[in-house]
Amino acid sequence: MASKPTYAEIFRQRGLSRRDFLKFCSLTTAALGLAPSLLPKVMHAMETRPRTPVIWLHGLECTCCTESFIRSSHPIMADIIFNMISLDYDDTLSAAAGHQLEAVRHQIMEEYKGQYILACEGNVPTKDGGVYCLVGGDTYQNVLQETAAGAAAVIAWGACASFGCVQNADPNPTGAVPVSEIITDKPLVNVPGCPPIAEVMTGIITHFHTFGTLPELDRMKRPKAFYGTRIHDKCYRRAFYDAGMFVTDFDDESARKGWCLYKMGCKGPTTYNSCSNIEWNNGVSFPIGSGHPCFGCAAPGFWDDGPFYSRLADVSFLGTDMNADKIGAVAVGAAAAGAAGHAAVTAVKKRKAGNGQQSEQKEG
Amino acid sequence: MGRIIEEIYVWRLPVRLYHWINAICIAVLLVTGFYIASPVLLPPRGEAVASSAMSWWRYVHFAAGFIFIANFLYRLYWALFGGDRYARFGGFRPWSPKWWGTPFREQMASYMFLRRDEPHYTGHNPVAALTHFIFIFCGSVLMIGTGMAMYGENNPGGFADTLFGWLIPLFGSSYNLHMVHHAAAWIFPFYVVLHLYAVFRHDIVDRTSVTSSIITGYKHKVEEDPS
Repeated sequence: MASKPTYAEIFRQRGLSRRDFLKFCSLTTAALGLAPSLLPKVMHAMETRPRTPVIWLHGLECTCCTESFIRSSHPIMADIIFNMISLDYDDTLSAAAGHQLEAVRHQIMEEYKGQYILACEGNVPTKDGGVYCLVGGDTYQNVLQETAAGAAAVIAWGACASFGCVQNADPNPTGAVPVSEIITDKPLVNVPGCPPIAEVMTGIITHFHTFGTLPELDRMKRPKAFYGTRIHDKCYRRAFYDAGMFVTDFDDESARKGWCLYKMGCKGPTTYNSCSNIEWNNGVSFPIGSGHPCFGCAAPGFWDDGPFYSRLADVSFLGTDMNADKIGAVAVGAAAAGAAGHAAVTAVKKRKAGNGQQSEQKEG
Repeated sequence: MGRIIEEIYVWRLPVRLYHWINAICIAVLLVTGFYIASPVLLPPRGEAVASSAMSWWRYVHFAAGFIFIANFLYRLYWALFGGDRYARFGGFRPWSPKWWGTPFREQMASYMFLRRDEPHYTGHNPVAALTHFIFIFCGSVLMIGTGMAMYGENNPGGFADTLFGWLIPLFGSSYNLHMVHHAAAWIFPFYVVLHLYAVFRHDIVDRTSVTSSIITGYKHKVEEDPS
């Protein structure tokens, strides 16, 4: 840690030209939705300031977020971006292991106190003292709290860290909670998705590196630049939605023609992410592009907001084959039956009473 | 039938207008809403650009929704500032134990056949007032709030999103909000069944011409003993 290279120096060390560096800067600036006039500022920061150290923690998770991240594509410099992060501390990607690696973490925490970014992948099991996720002999909850104490900002990376994902789906046996419920006193950004789009990480780190703050966040603490719109609103199949042209079966003609997957349970209309514009794996495709409905991995309640292949949610507490329409129809039916029964009793009563009915006069 | 002994002007024009605009809006909103949730009509042949089979339903739903909101606010204004004794909130105070006292209990008892006679009210009886409040007032507020939050999703940072977008995290997620909006829509057909039954029943039992009163505005008092 003696010499602290800038991002530009890392680019050069990797044998990439200045042109590549500028491409990276302009692309990240554009992705963040920053004005073009801010590009020089981004470049300046990337060239002059020592890179922002990042500690990357893994909690209760499947590591798909890391898999996604190391496939960051824009620009085709995955290892550069990888360099922006990994060399400091990442228990999946680091060469070191065991006590050696933990020592590195403590070293960074001391050396860059209040300056490093903490990226956490996976969520935090809290039940039974947090024993369901142990890192280096300590509970993840402790490790996270300890590491977050000296962090400048926290990135909750992935659906697990942001909202909980599969681990805290009902019945949540390990008491898993998202990072935002453990770390409440630090600037925190949620980057939901299972996995999230890699470019968001470079975007956030670049923004923090340049301006010293997190990018603008929405109500659920997600960066607006990447989570501002629903997948549905930027979907290339939206024209088929508006035209009422829907896929009704995965092997019908309309599926082959690439019509809208709304009736197949696509969660695009309720999911905020950039899949439909940034896309995945060098912009090759994204789920809807491959003919599969979005299943809302970046939305809160992913897994509990099921089923994946129908529009209407199951109402779980009333049995799995109940949904809003069935409950509604039953309620209306019950109201009609009740009214009919009441009418019958009224008729019987009236006949019994004959004409001797009295009525009181009251003010309404 | 008994002779009409008194004609009472109960529902003034704003109330009647509100009622029918509301009824039409709810019918349109229900039909278009259920269609949007589950579009069934076959698409036209040809290019997608030439068709607006789905967007038309959405357009009608949004238009009817805005009329519904305007009409709701209009009725709210009338209830608060209209000075209309049969259409104001004045007598409706469910927070007070007194309100739940004798009149309410008498009316409930009558509906449950525990009394022989039918209490008579010129305007809404307390049970009706409570039902209207729960289904029409609270139901409308819920549908307007969730509907506007969903409408705002089209344009983040816009007017509807700024005013109603906070409802999305409140309901947990956009998906939950959609499902609540969908499920709560069933309030209205449920209410309509009860409403129509109660109106027709009162018309027959009390003979106050309550059914036609929402068109003409007049209720009638009829002689006790049919001649």
